[in-house]
Amino acid sequence: MKHRLLVLAVILSLLLTACGGTAASQKADITMMMWGEPAELEVWNKIVADFHAANPNITVKVDVSDWESYWTKLKTLLSAGTPPDVFAMDAPLYLDYQSRGVLLNLQPYLDKNPDLLKGVYPQTLEAYKTPDGMFGLPRDFQTIALAYNKDMFDAAGVAYPTADWTYDDLRSAAKSLTKIGSDGKVTQFGFTDDLWDMELIWSEAIWAYGGDVINADHTKTLVGEPKAHEAWQLFHDMMFEDKSWPNSTTSDEYGGDPFLAGVAAMTTIGHWVVPGYAEVKFKWDVAPMPKGPAGQATSVNSAGFVVAKDSKSPDAAFEFLKYVLSEPAQKRLAELGFACPVLKAVAESDAFLKQSTPIDHKVFLDSLAFAHMKPVFKGYDEWSSAIGDGMASIWLGDAELDPTLNDVIKAADDVLAKKK
Amino acid sequence: MDYGLKPLGREKFWLWALLMPTFIGLIFGALGSVAATVLLSFAKWDLLTPPAWAGTVNYANLFNDEKYLISLTNTVKFTAMYVPGVVIVSLFVAVLMNRKVRGVGLFRTAYFLPAVTSAVATALVWKMIYGNDTGILNFILERLGVQPVCWLCTGNAMVSVVIVNIWGAIGEGMIIFLAGLTAIPREYYEAAEMDGANGFHQFFRITVPLITPSIFFQTLISTINAFQAYDYIYMLTRRDQGDSSVPVVVFSIYRNAWNFFNYGGASAQAIELTVIVAALMAFYFWLERRYVVYE
Repeated sequence: MKHRLLVLAVILSLLLTACGGTAASQKADITMMMWGEPAELEVWNKIVADFHAANPNITVKVDVSDWESYWTKLKTLLSAGTPPDVFAMDAPLYLDYQSRGVLLNLQPYLDKNPDLLKGVYPQTLEAYKTPDGMFGLPRDFQTIALAYNKDMFDAAGVAYPTADWTYDDLRSAAKSLTKIGSDGKVTQFGFTDDLWDMELIWSEAIWAYGGDVINADHTKTLVGEPKAHEAWQLFHDMMFEDKSWPNSTTSDEYGGDPFLAGVAAMTTIGHWVVPGYAEVKFKWDVAPMPKGPAGQATSVNSAGFVVAKDSKSPDAAFEFLKYVLSEPAQKRLAELGFACPVLKAVAESDAFLKQSTPIDHKVFLDSLAFAHMKPVFKGYDEWSSAIGDGMASIWLGDAELDPTLNDVIKAADDVLAKKK
Repeated sequence: MDYGLKPLGREKFWLWALLMPTFIGLIFGALGSVAATVLLSFAKWDLLTPPAWAGTVNYANLFNDEKYLISLTNTVKFTAMYVPGVVIVSLFVAVLMNRKVRGVGLFRTAYFLPAVTSAVATALVWKMIYGNDTGILNFILERLGVQPVCWLCTGNAMVSVVIVNIWGAIGEGMIIFLAGLTAIPREYYEAAEMDGANGFHQFFRITVPLITPSIFFQTLISTINAFQAYDYIYMLTRRDQGDSSVPVVVFSIYRNAWNFFNYGGASAQAIELTVIVAALMAFYFWLERRYVVYE
């Protein structure tokens, strides 16, 4: 009898452990797809290696493409029904995928891990929230700050930008930093920026002037309203009256980034440039975005990860997302230096603040205080293309501001009407 | 057209056996995707959710899509400049290369090189040539005392891009025309010379009529290429997110399919492009029956 009980107990315990183990420790192979540069792949390989060490039963295959190929490849895989388990997402495009039902609702997992998002900057979570819950988690974020070439400021005897700068200060400093040669050619520009996407400067300036880019329910484009117009007028005047800002043809000749090429004294950028700017010969630093009549404004945008709805190993996939938000993984991202970690404890630690490039990294974190979220809605890509493409002829010097702006708003509103 | 050897008996089996792989590729690859494109052009499809039948909505939308209409106009303008350009320039080059000059092989190779070089690499070189403040062409112009030109600005970009595309196509055109030229018997020219015809007359009265089949073929190929032109244009005029300052139809198709979640609309554009090219081809073949001389 005793003997039998013992056997039963052994069998029972074996069964129980086997059952308990299936969820977490069953072997799973998952694929993770993302866009990125070679340097990023290197760091992600390290993060994955750490993850493997912590989760020996899960194998992650990393697949990295450049930005443009990434989206084409992703859409092809999704439409073929063979999506990667985990894939990277740019917040503004998130709803284009979420609304089409290809993403896994992570809310049940989040409810089971109530502490997971506690240390994460709340501004970076906003974009992923939907009435049905969160279908994605951020991994890192970008705010925009004003970068300036210290050597050029020193040479021209102009004081460095401060947190109290206004857009008028920016314009006048840019004017004094511009050098025009005897043949009428500009040899040094005071300011430069790409005006296609809203993220670099135009959304920030519009917000600072008291305008907005789109209304709350994403049915009306607001970039032509009087306050927004003041921002466009400023860019236009800097480019064509002051000649302190190269038009897009000229900036193309300097590889698309005259600041990096050392011919422009200022630009507004996100932290993503830091690794690329590490090699520059000049001294530079960053300051917060200038103030407008309605105060200071910058934009916050995050990149994150989502899980495919058709994933065969959603549990393992979520484990990976969870790991990306862990301190060791966020530390690796901080050291990579492309973006700001979303985990507050890591962002405010030396791993991020004491990176090898000697600029004031804290500016990017402090900017969250006055950051607006880059809009997230279905049809974002086509809407932003309607504006970016349409305005481009102005920045090439081929079209007038006001009539073009009117056409652009009409085209952008047409996109919004079509997407409803 | 009944010449050459005919396969017999067992040879026939092997003929089909060896052709099979190509046929399978054609049927499933080319014809399959053509059929799929036709079907999808009648559907609303964003790649992520299942396609839904949409009738002719995609085609109706084409006429309201301003960006598409602009791109179609651009393609037509491009074709109107590119096709005559390629035919004339490559015929001219072929006539030059048809002479018995020392080192003609070297020249022929030089003209053919763009055809076998990566378009992306050569387009980058052209970008340096066309640059505004730093470009080679403007540097030369300024030395000659001429006002520099903004080659890739909106007003000029189309012509600049056509020039590069013609330059890239000379090599292939030259080969076609050289083949045609070498087939013309020498005696015709000798006879003409005896009758006192000068070079100009010889070219227009003997060469051109006798190579009409090559001209026909080259016009056909160039037209098809013109409607598909993308690589040089993309490299020289691209802007953010797949836009271009000379957006031809291929840009519109690509962006609708891959950026704007509008695969059905992109398919309709592709089909419309095919229909236009097919109509042009029909016109060409009509011309062929009237004007092309086969010996």
